Amino acid sequence: MTHLTPSRDGRLTRRAFVGAATALVAAPARTANRPFRFGLTPVFPDDERELLDHLEEYIAGAIDSEVEFVQRRTYKEITALLMLGDLDAAWLCGYPFLQYAAALEVLALPLWRGASRYRAYVIGAAGRDIGGLDALRGDIHAYSDPDSNSGYLVTVSELVDRGERPEEFFARSFFTFGHSNVVQAVARGLADSGSVDGYVWEVLAARRPELTARTRILWRSDWFGFPPIVTRRQRPAHGATETLAAALRAMPRDPLGRRTLKLLHLDGFAPAQGADFSGIAARMRMLGEREE
Amino acid sequence: MIRAPAIPLTLRVPLIVAVLMVAVGVMASQLVMAALATSHERQLRELARTQFTTLSHALAPMAVREDVWGMFDLLDRSVARGAGLSAARLTLVGADGRVAVSSDPRAAPIGSGGTELRAGAQPLDGFDYDGDAERITLRSPLEHRGRALGALVIDFDARGLAAERRAAWRWLVLGNAAATLTLAGAGFVVVRRLLRPVAKLAAQMQPQAGPPEPFAPERIPERDPELARLYHSYNQMLHAEQERVDAQLRLAERERLAGLGRLAGSLAHEINNPLGGLLNATDTIRRYPDRPEVVHSSAELLDRGLRHLRDVVRATLDAHRGGRARSPLSTADLDDLRLLVEPELAQRGQSLDWRVTARDGDLAALPGGPLRQIGLNLLLNASAVAGEGGAVGLEVSADDDALCLCVSDTGPGLDEALRPRLLDAAPVAEGGGVGLRLVGELTRELGGEVALDSTAAGWNRVRIHLPLARRGEDAA
Repeated sequence: MTHLTPSRDGRLTRRAFVGAATALVAAPARTANRPFRFGLTPVFPDDERELLDHLEEYIAGAIDSEVEFVQRRTYKEITALLMLGDLDAAWLCGYPFLQYAAALEVLALPLWRGASRYRAYVIGAAGRDIGGLDALRGDIHAYSDPDSNSGYLVTVSELVDRGERPEEFFARSFFTFGHSNVVQAVARGLADSGSVDGYVWEVLAARRPELTARTRILWRSDWFGFPPIVTRRQRPAHGATETLAAALRAMPRDPLGRRTLKLLHLDGFAPAQGADFSGIAARMRMLGEREE
Repeated sequence: MIRAPAIPLTLRVPLIVAVLMVAVGVMASQLVMAALATSHERQLRELARTQFTTLSHALAPMAVREDVWGMFDLLDRSVARGAGLSAARLTLVGADGRVAVSSDPRAAPIGSGGTELRAGAQPLDGFDYDGDAERITLRSPLEHRGRALGALVIDFDARGLAAERRAAWRWLVLGNAAATLTLAGAGFVVVRRLLRPVAKLAAQMQPQAGPPEPFAPERIPERDPELARLYHSYNQMLHAEQERVDAQLRLAERERLAGLGRLAGSLAHEINNPLGGLLNATDTIRRYPDRPEVVHSSAELLDRGLRHLRDVVRATLDAHRGGRARSPLSTADLDDLRLLVEPELAQRGQSLDWRVTARDGDLAALPGGPLRQIGLNLLLNASAVAGEGGAVGLEVSADDDALCLCVSDTGPGLDEALRPRLLDAAPVAEGGGVGLRLVGELTRELGGEVALDSTAAGWNRVRIHLPLARRGEDAA
């Protein structure tokens, strides 16, 4: 396995370059005509066509392979496809990653506002008073996805931690299977409140301020490990998987990469070593203990 | 009741055509609007049915799964924002009577009561549509594999449809009005043009200063057989009238000549009568030149005879050349009349009863010429009808206001058929009696009157009454 490790001044070292070149030469033999399949979940703000085009062009150029983005309605479907080996890599939430931690490994960690961490928001309609989570009792609540940390796990575990029964705390709840859908549901009044990824809400606030302006953040969670780019521990079929991690980390030094990162509102990608999903694991335990 | 002046035919017919065209235009508009309304209603039903069918298929599985977001997303996308019929709000009322989801969650929140909403909607099968309604709410039950899931209630915004209809109505009315007015105007112009020959004919037949003129051949619309026939008939009528007038003139001339002939015969006789005596007198003078008393008496005889001849000639000239036509009437004129008719009377062995009581002062108020013609004609007529050995009378009298000239005779009286010629001013049939008509016309021209009666002796009499226009001087 060869890693493209950027030097401190941001340029590729000679060794790294040679390694990468070797990998690039070796890759076509193993991948044959099969495109690199990259799974995307709603953690990723995919509502801009230009972003997908840039990301595809960048990755395809970096790993010298055709790239195919695979999107499904739920996290579960993407996880299942990844476990099946149908996907070579996926941008997954920390919660499903931890659920399959034994079989999956982190390739890279997105850096947002200088760190690989984010928070969960609970949002309400723009005119609503901020009264903490307790004030949400009796709401119609919109979750993002049952496998989403920020869009489900955080809120539910927080309520459990407060001695509440989430299924009774809210008058009614439903899943929208997308963080931006949660924002829409709250903005339109379909739901009184919603659980949403803080990163996605902030990106939306920059891109579609008229939408987020109709909502307000009622509660912010602790910091959690940012949704990682993962792959199977068991070597994936596509040889370029190894190269992908290095290519992602090298994005800030490439003009196309920089444009892509700007659209993603990210600073770059960090190596897997810094991964810290302990907060999520704690929330999972909290929920598991309640179920027991 | 005051009656409006009648509109001429040449204006009335085009106006009727224009009004009929407007009526047809209005009727056509009504028919098209009715068709449009029916078409719109059908369109609304089809659109609504399509909308419900399509949505129900997609919505039912989601409703079974209680996929709130999926349903909301579907309903929200179905809110059309376009022209025509568009869904403004879509709401699924669950089987429990509560709102399962609505495209307008603030108006119909999840879990709120939906019974009223459902009750306020008309069933999709058999709803009433008021063409002007801006909103129509319909409902249709939602089922999935035989399981009742509630009812889908859709508020349709029919404003687009109503606006479309109003716009169509407006354009139709404008277009039809323009077309109708154009057609009506064209119809008016065309029909008026068609009727122009009739207007010309009417103008030609109007009373004019001069005699009526026939149409020149180039002005006759030969292309239109009916009108051409009308024009030709008019020309023929004028021609016939002209011929009639000409014939009358010819007849009058002939009668005048005939009268002249008779008069000439009488004159010849009158002149011939004394000629024997006069020649005898000259012969006596020649034979006895040395006997002064015989010469003197023969010369006297000659002088009287020649004077008589001179008078006869002068009277004839006056009567027929009109030399004294403008001179006032005088007893001399009456004496001339006597001189002129006496030979005619003598020929028939008729006696003459001559009574002139009017004096020159009375007579001068009237013109001599016409009175001589009146008198001569009446006397000659009287003589003609009095027969052999009959009698003819003349009486001329005057009072303060009028002169009466009466001619009587012992004849059988004026024929009934000839009376109108003398008495009436109206045109009469062609034929004899030109003299009588002349008398009548001259009398009327002088402001007088003609009457027929009998004298005390039983003679038939023609009385001519003529008003005397005295010029400030009283009769002596």
